[in-house]
Amino acid sequence: MATYQLSVNGQSRAIEVAPDMPLLWALRDTLELRGTKFGCGRGICGACTVLVDGAAMRSCITPVGSVARQRITTIEGLAPEGRLHRVQSAWIEEDVPQCGYCQAGQIMMAVSLLAVKPQPTDHEILDAMSNNLCRCGTYLRIRRAVRRAANAEPRRTADTAAGSAL
Amino acid sequence: MKVVRIDRRTFLQVGATAAGGLLVGCYVRRPGTKSAAEFRPNGYLRIDPDGTVVLWSKNPDMGQGIKTSLAMMIAEELDVDWSMVRVEQAELNRAWYGGQGAGGSDGTPSDGPLGQRAGAVARSMLMAAAASAWGVDPASCETERGVVHHRASRRSSPYGELAASAAALPAPKEPPPLKAIDRHTIIGKPTRGVDTPKIVTGQPIYGLDARVPGMLHAVIEKCPVHGGRPVAVDAAAALAVPGVTRVVTIEGHTNPTWLRPGVAVVANSTWAAMKGREALRVTWDEGDGRDESSASLSAQFRSLAAKPGKILGDQGNVGRAFAQAHTNVDVVYEAPFLAHATLEPQNCIAHVHDGRCDILGPLQMPTSGAQVVAAVLGIPRESVSVQMTRIGGGFGRRLMSDYAAEAACISKAVGAPVQVVWSREDDLRHDYYRPAGLHHVRAGLDARGTLSVWHHHLVNVSRNRYRLGDTPPESTEIYGLIAPPAADPKKQFDNDLLPTLIPNCRLEYSEARTAVPTGAWRAPSHNFNAFVIESILDELAHAGRVDPIALRLQYLGAASDFPYEGDNPAPYKPERLKRVLQLVAERSGWGTPMPPGRGRGLAVHYTFGSYCAQVADVSVDADKQLRVHRVVAAIDVGVAVNPLNLDAQTQGGIIDGLSAAMFGEITIKNGRTVQSTFDDYPLLRNRDAPEIEVHIVPSREHSTGFGEIALPPVAAAVANAIFAASGIRVRRLPFAASGFTMGAVPR
Repeated sequence: MATYQLSVNGQSRAIEVAPDMPLLWALRDTLELRGTKFGCGRGICGACTVLVDGAAMRSCITPVGSVARQRITTIEGLAPEGRLHRVQSAWIEEDVPQCGYCQAGQIMMAVSLLAVKPQPTDHEILDAMSNNLCRCGTYLRIRRAVRRAANAEPRRTADTAAGSAL
Repeated sequence: MKVVRIDRRTFLQVGATAAGGLLVGCYVRRPGTKSAAEFRPNGYLRIDPDGTVVLWSKNPDMGQGIKTSLAMMIAEELDVDWSMVRVEQAELNRAWYGGQGAGGSDGTPSDGPLGQRAGAVARSMLMAAAASAWGVDPASCETERGVVHHRASRRSSPYGELAASAAALPAPKEPPPLKAIDRHTIIGKPTRGVDTPKIVTGQPIYGLDARVPGMLHAVIEKCPVHGGRPVAVDAAAALAVPGVTRVVTIEGHTNPTWLRPGVAVVANSTWAAMKGREALRVTWDEGDGRDESSASLSAQFRSLAAKPGKILGDQGNVGRAFAQAHTNVDVVYEAPFLAHATLEPQNCIAHVHDGRCDILGPLQMPTSGAQVVAAVLGIPRESVSVQMTRIGGGFGRRLMSDYAAEAACISKAVGAPVQVVWSREDDLRHDYYRPAGLHHVRAGLDARGTLSVWHHHLVNVSRNRYRLGDTPPESTEIYGLIAPPAADPKKQFDNDLLPTLIPNCRLEYSEARTAVPTGAWRAPSHNFNAFVIESILDELAHAGRVDPIALRLQYLGAASDFPYEGDNPAPYKPERLKRVLQLVAERSGWGTPMPPGRGRGLAVHYTFGSYCAQVADVSVDADKQLRVHRVVAAIDVGVAVNPLNLDAQTQGGIIDGLSAAMFGEITIKNGRTVQSTFDDYPLLRNRDAPEIEVHIVPSREHSTGFGEIALPPVAAAVANAIFAASGIRVRRLPFAASGFTMGAVPR
């Protein structure tokens, strides 16, 4: 066991876990942030996507010890004080989810895309969002929601949470 | 408690909540059971004195949207504003709800009307309470958005203020009438999912997110060979892993769909359990399945196809008709095993204590799940409680409740609440797969281009055999096939075995045997049977130079050709199939020219009361790279309760069906499943998904479900389009097995 000081959603959290424990299980089992999902454990499906220093990362294959000095943002950290991120609002407007299990990962991927490419082309949307699997087939609504979020007036406070340093 | 009679099978139960609110439940009385039910603060709806309206979804939601649409149906008849309601997931409660579960696209057609009636009864009691207070005739009162009005005296009262007095009134003797369709304000209105805000903010609403105090985590190692079992366990290294507390052997049950053998590692975290499992040493009895392979199964299918099978229906003279046919096809179609690959892996929490078991998890079938858990624990089913979480995908996998039974066995052994979690590898290697099989079909057109003969020999593995069902092995495998009208039309319609006007028609079945576990997969049997039928119709149309739409319109017939006297509220009507066919032809530009290398394909199917036709537009290049540009769908589900969700389910069914048709294949080697994760069992990705247009048939027919109907036609629509584009006829799924690759659609 080893002790780590993590920065998660703007808070500093000390945890004592096995050094090889993936960030995913540290978030879910130790820090009780269960919005980040377990899908494959091999970094293929993207359900576990979080932001590490603003970039999308697969938490299921990221050892917790490797990100101890970086800023981690999970789906729970996108809406500080309950103000939804514009990507979350777009997801609601388009009613994207079916089962919904992959959507936290999809949303984190979209947030990381828009941080780098505020006005992505259709190609850029497809390239980014093809990193994440959806078993229900919500892909067309995901495309629409990303476009909607890109076209939405960015709200400074909501954007600061995940996008300011991206 | 009061009981009001609705019809032969259905009764409503009405009572007061402790806080003075009105609560209406509804349950189905089964023959041989008592009508009396325990009063509990549960049911379909509750109105509190402060005006709060809570609606319950009796069935779990796995993405099909039933939690929203059942609530819409209750709210419509209760006559409240949708923005006023809060929707909750009901727990298992046999007295209130009868059977609970999600399957067969049955929630909307069967449970929806119960909810509507529960709403209507509550509304009539609220009106009676107001009328009594005002000393007027209840018939002179009306309701609007949660308020009772008496226009003549200009009095009105919100539901909350009437809740306590309504609860004290007798229930109506006769069920109140439901609203006319034209007066619907909620049903038919595009409505977002009630859980969408929770999903997009990452709230812990899925099975794997659930926690109970003192809970341990468990993972299970199973014999890699299907049907095998542990004979010796060396747990020392596993127990040495920090956090691991116990190793538990699970014996399994006679019925492998209830519980399969394995060895569980129990720990204080998921990761510790996974690490412990890596250190586990198990000696297996691999059983009889160890020599099986996809090649040996295929050989078995071919050997059975060469011999006569069991005749399930025969009319006319098939032999003579072939001799006289002008155009013949004689073809073999092959189906692989398919995995469900729900994105949320199987998981469940169980707590066995004091002779009881509490289940908390993603149960698609809570009623049968409680029976399974009770059976493996040897306790009465009344001693099993079930709370359903939101479910991260079903697709038929969670019709089985084996993961709940596993959690129960482990909890019993360790004396603490336990959450079982499967890895993705466990999920793909130990699924209950869509049965593999082979179809040998001979069919012919007469000199006028009319479909005159159809001889269908299905050879496959029966999921009914695997689950030890008490009906014949073919009974689960023939959904969606065409057959001569049966002596008992009810049996035929209830099995979705479609009667046909083809004058010479024979349906034959042969059962193959395997140790590979099988089960239902979204639109069970329909999902491949539609591919076979709709591809062969296209083959016939091309061979006989007949218009593929005209060919279908001719053989389908009309409802009047197939009289039906059963209690199915929405029996098969060929006219509705013709309507979606004609609509999709209109909207897809069917028949207009296409550039070289590009083609359109058409398919239509009926599944569980609903109808869907699709036209796929594809291109195929010289390297067999397939691009699916667009799919146009026409769909008829009767009155569409939630059109926003119908659009979503149609898109999802098409993408799921295309993903399976392109990539989906589980293969067997040395008795083991070869595939283990999403790199060797790929799913369609966003860039590969076609544009999809959904056209809904306006309808006043009984509302039917739509979680499955959009899937069956797509494989044939795409295969027929591949033929139109390239001249290559694909008779085996997935397309990838014939050398096709998926190309992104140019944008």
